[in-house]
Amino acid sequence: MKRYIKSLLFLLLTIVLMLANCTKILDEQPRASVTPDYFTTPGGVLGGITGVYSDMRNLWGTEGFLNMVVGGTDEVLKGGSGNPNFFEYGIVNSDIADLWRIAYQDINTINGVLQYGATVALPDATRLQYLAQAKFLRAFYYFYLVQTYGDVPLHVTFLSNASTADSRASIADVYAQIITDLTEAADQLPAVPTAPFLGKAATSASAKYLLAKAYLTRGWSGAAVSGDFQAAYNLCVDLITNKATYGIDLWQDYASVNIKANDYGKEVLFVIDHSTDLKYGEYTTGSAASGPKENKSNFYFRPNYPTINANYPASGGSSVMIRDIPNGRPFIRVRPNGPYLINQAFAERVNDSRWDNTFQVAWIANNGAITTPRGILTPAVDTAIWTPPFEVTPARRAAFKGIIVTPSGAPKNDPTSKSSWDPAMFPSMKKYDDATRAQLNDGSTRPFVMFKFSEVYLIAAEAAFKGGGTLQNAADMLNVLRQRAAYRSNKSAAQNTAAAAAMTITPAQVTLDFILDERTRELYGEYQRWWDLVRTQTLSARLNTWNKLEAYPKYSASNPPNAFALRPIPQTQIDLVTQGPAFPQNPGY
Amino acid sequence: MVKNRSESILDLKCFRKVMLIFGICILLIIQNSFQGLAASVINSYRSDGLQHKTVTGHVLAVNNTPLAGVNIIEKGTTNGVISGPDGKFSIAVSSGNSILTFSFIGFEVKDVVVGDQTNLEITLDESLTGLNEVIVIGYGTARKKDVTGSVASIGAGTLQQVQTSNMISGLQGRAAGIDIVNNSTQPGSSGQIRIRGNRQMATTSGASDAVDAPLLVVDGIPFGGSITDISTNDIENIDILKDASATAIYGSRGAGGVILVTTKRGKAGKPVFNYNVYYGISNATGFYHVFDGPQYAKYKDEAKAGNGGSSSYGLSTAEQDGLTNGTSTDWQKLIYRQGSTVEHQLSVSGGTGGTKYSFGGSYYSEEGIVPGQDFSRFSLRTTIDHQISKRLRAGINTMNTLSYSNAGGNPVSGLCRLSPLVAPYLPDGTLNQTPLTGLLDNLTVNPLTIITNAASIKNLTRRIRTFNSLYGEWDIIDALKYRINVGLDYRQDQNDNYMGPNTMYNTNTTLDKATEYVGNAEAWTYTIENLLTYDKTFLGKHRVTFTGLYSIQKDHSLGNQFNGTGIIADYLQDYNLNLANTLTANNGTFTERGLISYMGRLNYSYDGRYLLTATVRRDGASVLSKGHQYFTYPALALAWNISNEQFMKNIKPISNLKLRGGWGVTSNQGINPYATLGVLGVDFYNYGSTPAGNNPGFLVQNLANKSLTWASTSQFNIGVDFGLFNERFTGSIELYQQKTKDILLSMTLPPSNGASSIVVNAGKTQGKGVEITLGATIIEMKNGFKWSADMNFSMNREKIVALQDPNLKEDIGNGWFVGQPLSVIYDGVKLGIWQIADSVQAAVYGCKPGQIRIKDLNGDNILNGSDRTVIGNFEPKWIGGMTNRFSFKGIDLTFVAYARMGQTVVVPYFMTDGGANGYPFFNNSRVNSLYRDYWTRTNPTNAFPRPDAGSDNVKYSSTLGYLDGSFIKARSISLGYNLPSSLLSHINVSSLRLYVTCLNPFIIYSPFVKNGYGLDPEGNGYGGVSNSTLGGTPVPGRAITVNLNAPPTRQFQFGLNMNF
Repeated sequence: MKRYIKSLLFLLLTIVLMLANCTKILDEQPRASVTPDYFTTPGGVLGGITGVYSDMRNLWGTEGFLNMVVGGTDEVLKGGSGNPNFFEYGIVNSDIADLWRIAYQDINTINGVLQYGATVALPDATRLQYLAQAKFLRAFYYFYLVQTYGDVPLHVTFLSNASTADSRASIADVYAQIITDLTEAADQLPAVPTAPFLGKAATSASAKYLLAKAYLTRGWSGAAVSGDFQAAYNLCVDLITNKATYGIDLWQDYASVNIKANDYGKEVLFVIDHSTDLKYGEYTTGSAASGPKENKSNFYFRPNYPTINANYPASGGSSVMIRDIPNGRPFIRVRPNGPYLINQAFAERVNDSRWDNTFQVAWIANNGAITTPRGILTPAVDTAIWTPPFEVTPARRAAFKGIIVTPSGAPKNDPTSKSSWDPAMFPSMKKYDDATRAQLNDGSTRPFVMFKFSEVYLIAAEAAFKGGGTLQNAADMLNVLRQRAAYRSNKSAAQNTAAAAAMTITPAQVTLDFILDERTRELYGEYQRWWDLVRTQTLSARLNTWNKLEAYPKYSASNPPNAFALRPIPQTQIDLVTQGPAFPQNPGY
Repeated sequence: MVKNRSESILDLKCFRKVMLIFGICILLIIQNSFQGLAASVINSYRSDGLQHKTVTGHVLAVNNTPLAGVNIIEKGTTNGVISGPDGKFSIAVSSGNSILTFSFIGFEVKDVVVGDQTNLEITLDESLTGLNEVIVIGYGTARKKDVTGSVASIGAGTLQQVQTSNMISGLQGRAAGIDIVNNSTQPGSSGQIRIRGNRQMATTSGASDAVDAPLLVVDGIPFGGSITDISTNDIENIDILKDASATAIYGSRGAGGVILVTTKRGKAGKPVFNYNVYYGISNATGFYHVFDGPQYAKYKDEAKAGNGGSSSYGLSTAEQDGLTNGTSTDWQKLIYRQGSTVEHQLSVSGGTGGTKYSFGGSYYSEEGIVPGQDFSRFSLRTTIDHQISKRLRAGINTMNTLSYSNAGGNPVSGLCRLSPLVAPYLPDGTLNQTPLTGLLDNLTVNPLTIITNAASIKNLTRRIRTFNSLYGEWDIIDALKYRINVGLDYRQDQNDNYMGPNTMYNTNTTLDKATEYVGNAEAWTYTIENLLTYDKTFLGKHRVTFTGLYSIQKDHSLGNQFNGTGIIADYLQDYNLNLANTLTANNGTFTERGLISYMGRLNYSYDGRYLLTATVRRDGASVLSKGHQYFTYPALALAWNISNEQFMKNIKPISNLKLRGGWGVTSNQGINPYATLGVLGVDFYNYGSTPAGNNPGFLVQNLANKSLTWASTSQFNIGVDFGLFNERFTGSIELYQQKTKDILLSMTLPPSNGASSIVVNAGKTQGKGVEITLGATIIEMKNGFKWSADMNFSMNREKIVALQDPNLKEDIGNGWFVGQPLSVIYDGVKLGIWQIADSVQAAVYGCKPGQIRIKDLNGDNILNGSDRTVIGNFEPKWIGGMTNRFSFKGIDLTFVAYARMGQTVVVPYFMTDGGANGYPFFNNSRVNSLYRDYWTRTNPTNAFPRPDAGSDNVKYSSTLGYLDGSFIKARSISLGYNLPSSLLSHINVSSLRLYVTCLNPFIIYSPFVKNGYGLDPEGNGYGGVSNSTLGGTPVPGRAITVNLNAPPTRQFQFGLNMNF
């Protein structure tokens, strides 16, 4: 009997275990990840927009992106540690994929925002604001895609089925979509940043800026529609006339434009935000330049100042400088193109303050009392390194305790070093400096400034020059910036007035090259130049004139003059289109 | 502050010792009390009056020597005794109808009907063949001669010949068709295992393991997580199910093969103590060959010349001085230390009456050759099997493990990159803290800080695991048995990481730049299996066994991680994150998956000659789409024991001949939970500089597939087992072919579609292969000298048969090519280096002399994506292993060799793409790198390109890293001595073995090592490969590559194994 009970208990236990809740075992409930259903909620629609803004951090501020839009132009040469692929038009397939991938990923998310945002329960005003943001962002990406790659796939609906086929739409269709989206966004976005899109997120003003630029670019392109330049010019005039409405204006002093304190100031239209917040700023501190979303623009333009030794150009002697936060982390990727900058764009350095406000040319000793052949450097007092934009006399060189590196490459005077100072030591572009970041090797905590009000004048000038206005209109627009550039806070009013007069140009002086030079003066190194030269169809000609040793040779080999005016389609795209017609590569690659 | 850290290390060491002593004491106490318990259990049975006849006798071997320790059990009862030292026994049995079963390791089991006898003389036959050996076949066991599928069986003796922290690396080269490749050099790491190759097209190594790695089953319960949690010494036996007819009973879990581990349990008899100890020392087999001081200076000069005479990477003043005074620091030599391994294991097992038990504890500790890397494990294990009543049995196996693994940091690439021209110490004897002052990398900190400042480095994983399996068995009627298995596996991991300032790993100089990390993760799995077994022999010749199963399994895991930056004092480390300057949370994780299974298996045997196994299993999995969750797997196998036929009786040389054939379907649910629901990518953004603008963001990155169902593999297997000359030569040959369809794969989409990937059921693969296993006693001499050898050889050919679209022949983006193995290298063909004489031709391709010359495959004078081709793969042409054993009078010598031939190896440290992949600054002389034959104007080699200080990105450099990875290695040499029993009997020890083993003694053949490209072609990690200059990723991330990781080690072990 006893054993019988045991058996019974055993059986009972078994039955309990057998009937353990086992239908539920095949159900799924994620708890640590967000499913796409979230898109159908108000928070999801806002989150989609925010995700796209956040994703921009993967482009502007990264090295690959810098190479693509700064490298291979008239403004720069490759720095000592630069990537020759873009600067010298080598193979660029492996570096070109990010813009393509991120743009389309974001466009698809935006298409989802537009689809779900139209029906989700939201107050009408909020819905309008969300959808306008989305239209702005979609046009934003298509505009950079079409400028970079030419004909590109055009998707305006949310992807619901996986496909390994895709094809390219004509640039005319892409521009039409951009202009439609931006026109609606310009109408629907608020004039000034409005919560939750604070800081310098898209506004009606930034949409109009981008729309003006889209008209301008289309006007130059093969898909031009008559009236494009006029439309561009009118939009600029609208922005300038109504600047108070949009809360925008120019600073009196060009020196105020690119400083950290004014990143959210009146001259800035649109930024990609960064902050020291480890979570929302996605900021990494103390890492070895690894965060893909870091704004590392404060590294790339720096020379290798910590390696300049006391006996330079001979070897030996201690380093005259050590790496510190104000002087920044030397990535040595981009070197100013001396011949073009000194003799052409910044030939005027007295009346025009912009050379001085763009470049750091002196490094104050910070490595103790280092002895050079000409004396002992006093820290924090003596200039340890000077990279003037002109040659110096032997006498002056002898009287200077520190190291002088001049544009001719002298004292190195190496004919193969392509001139322009030394590949390792050159003037440092300081617009992106961030002296308040926590650690020496940290990326910048400043937002990446994308659109500035000052460029509206340049767009207007170019549009006027191309027939959207008169040459007088063009000169007027340029003169606003030029007269502002003449201002120096340490000069008297009379001196400034005189300088402004000297800077004023006449309509006869307005040429395409002049406008392009003016863009360099105003916007040197600001991640626009390659697109500027491509838009104005001057890439080949200006490289032939100004960048003959480095970027131009690839043209002269066997390629037509406007080859490389498009970047190659990323090989991954070509490889992964496995159904339907093969995805064509751009010519020349 | 520093002191505190070392104190805590002391604490830990002290704690470990106390634990060990404590454990041993407990074992001894339990041993005594258990004997008492066992005796009372026996008495209780005696008192129920069932026994009324006493039988005595003695057991002899064929040569008439008495056998001590033979198990004698009254069949169908728990009543049993053990023969004494003189082979004598005495047992009370219930009646004359009782049957006594005599069993002893190494002898045939013998059943004797008691009848009228009261004094028995029993002679046991030595089991010459392993044919009666019992093999675990999943949800049951079978005698080897009754097995119809392809099963490899490896006993504890074989495993213990190569003592490693985990049994998997001990299996390398030991069984045909089991391909094990190292994927790490960290202490406590295992390897990548594949049985009969890859079947499924995975995009990442993790996904590949999830779908193609074998299922590990311990005592019938699926075992998740790290295999290093099991001590090799706890394993009785490993059986590996290879073909589908055998694995089909595991259905959706079995497609990658099944490794069944049986742990040691108590055997009836007096308590037997077993004590095992070994100590090992390990040293790097070599160091990476980097440029020495003068070579480094010359390399910098050449790089400067290669950039038209300018370089940002000149020598610093200190380096210049170093060159003058002959400094050539070998940083690797300064850092790597001698590693050590120690394991103690004490167990006791036995059983009397109705209870068999075993329990024991072990302590394993390994110090790696990299300072700061170590692994230690404490484990306690208990098994109890109890006969509750005549028809009821129950038992438990509980394994409890606590392990600490300190991964330290990885200094290897830093050591190779650091200039040899600077001295580790300053003239005043203090550490040269920042040896690269005056250079671009002036912040680099002396690697010796990982030793001097060890208290600031912590990268600890603490794991607690309790793995429990319980069973109950009920003999419903004589032939029908019900069994329930319940498994509960719980793991908890805690990660503690601290990197203080002023070390090689954290070059910052202030405490506000310290980093801290705490992570916690738990995982549990429960399994409930209900089994019904019917086993009966009809009319003497028809044996029928039926097994039915219903089981459910649920897996659960979750984790949370927190990062801190800055801390107010070094000694606080990560103990109190509230004192960190800033704190952030990482993404939490949570996954659950469930599986419901039904299975039926019929084994039929006619006269021991004709065997049939038929199986059907049906599985339902939560991870698949609703409506597609269930799948059914059939399997059928036949076998013919030819040697049991009458006509074979006269063919004396053939002692065993069996023909087997099987077919089965298995499958896979190897996708992540929630793949059918889709996941949004999570980002964050600040609109403006105030917290009001902080928002979470979401991106659509993958597409959900709402109709995912099972992938399935069908496999045919034909095998012959044979034994010649009374089993002196044995062997088996297997041929198989498998086809996999509806493969669950994460398909990468064209980026322009806006989503990166989607999981689909697509694609077909095929595999076929041959496996040969041979065993022979080559010499057996009268004086006792014996030489025996085992050999195994296997070839597997996997290939992709179809991709997602039947018309598609290649999917370059994912690295899949129809007709090729599942992972290949797809890149340009390196012809050599452009020479000066070819400079005109080089210019056509935008190249100059000294740069890598790539073949223009389509001859269009442009090098681009269409000049790529398949240039190698990771599938070996063949793999093989050989074990030789020599024994003479108690001395034995074992030698294990292992070969893997004909595969390509990928070496990222000879590549760079200017980004994060390959060896950053590889050819520009900014840092030191591996010694190589590089091109200069006076050395027109075709091996490596000209150094160029002007370029981070060496054109086409990915093609430098594809090398012949074939190798033959000596895995181990072991010399042992069993002390004669005449000596041991005086000290009451029944056996004592002393041994010396050398692991990884030498590499017999490897062109990779011979050419000086590295230390070991076997692989030590994944990925790291440069992008191809021609576009795309040339090597899929799932491939094992030879990275710049800690050097492989050679280990000497001294051990003792004692039974008493």
